[in-house]
Amino acid sequence: MSAVLEVASALLLVAGAAFYLAGTVGLLRFPDVYARLHALTKADNLGLGCVVLGLSLQAESLAVAVKLLLIWPLVLAASATLSYSIARRADRLGITPWQGKEDR
Amino acid sequence: MTALEWPLALFLLANLLAALLRAARGPTAADRMLVALLFGTGGVGILLLLGRAGGNPALVDAALVLALLAAIAGAAFARRAWTDGDADERRP
Amino acid sequence: MTVIAAALWRGVAFALLWWTLAEGRTENWGLGLAIIGLATLASLRLLPATALRLSPRGLLGFGTFFLVQSIRAGTQVAIMALRHRLDLAPAMLELPITLPPGAARIWLANTLSLLPGTLSVDIGATHLRLHVLDRRLPIAHEVAQVEARIAAVLGMEK
Repeated sequence: MSAVLEVASALLLVAGAAFYLAGTVGLLRFPDVYARLHALTKADNLGLGCVVLGLSLQAESLAVAVKLLLIWPLVLAASATLSYSIARRADRLGITPWQGKEDR
Repeated sequence: MTALEWPLALFLLANLLAALLRAARGPTAADRMLVALLFGTGGVGILLLLGRAGGNPALVDAALVLALLAAIAGAAFARRAWTDGDADERRP
Repeated sequence: MTVIAAALWRGVAFALLWWTLAEGRTENWGLGLAIIGLATLASLRLLPATALRLSPRGLLGFGTFFLVQSIRAGTQVAIMALRHRLDLAPAMLELPITLPPGAARIWLANTLSLLPGTLSVDIGATHLRLHVLDRRLPIAHEVAQVEARIAAVLGMEK
């Protein structure tokens, strides 16, 4: 394996971990359930995308690389539908979104 | 092979543990459900990293099946919510 | 004719999937061929050839658009989360949808949840309820853009 690929793979893996961290920070810091959903659906999915791409650069064959890349859209679809279910439920239960300080 | 996979897998695991704080704090049931979302993406990431770190390619298949089941469960869930509606839900 | 063409395309797609799942190994191709045939039959039964017509160009356009936008979305929300002061101006919006009900709308809602700053909350009969992280951004314009991309994939050029 070429050194360039190895470095690119390592960078992608670290970037992926950073996005996961941002997602977790958002989950803990953001003011309401909707904002937290934003953090998880976007940051974590990009984090997983980076990890998957990073690992597929090191894959021993093309088929294995494609298999790894196939996981990403599946997880995207899963988290988008789950996020919709949670947001819709929260809305139906009457949870109003946090409006920001300047409006209060 | 890079030696990054082990520490990164542990790092993601630490993320999942930190997210449990959100589940504990709530404040609403919807907030607690968020952790399920994180465990999906995080769990798949951890499985893949461990598969590479331990040289166990079967974990990639495990991650694929997990992702597939999550997608199907999500679709089934959404479909139910779609047809049932939640007329019986009341404001707390 | 459409049925034969659809069967051929779907068969090729399932064969590629099998090749991926078997990690390129060839010793199980007998079983693979049987499963590819069954999967193609099942897919034609469940989703008739006339019900689905995807435009390859539209699909490519959507794919690249989605990739670029999801990188933007992840970076944007990561910066928001990690910045010292939270600078959010969230709001609930109701926007009209032009796509027909069914799969196209679900696809729209799911895509918007993964794009920068928007989160689908409820698909109504005429409107889509969205939560936005920053109401100062041109949300309606972005939603219209995604709608046009999806319409292009489904061959419903506006």
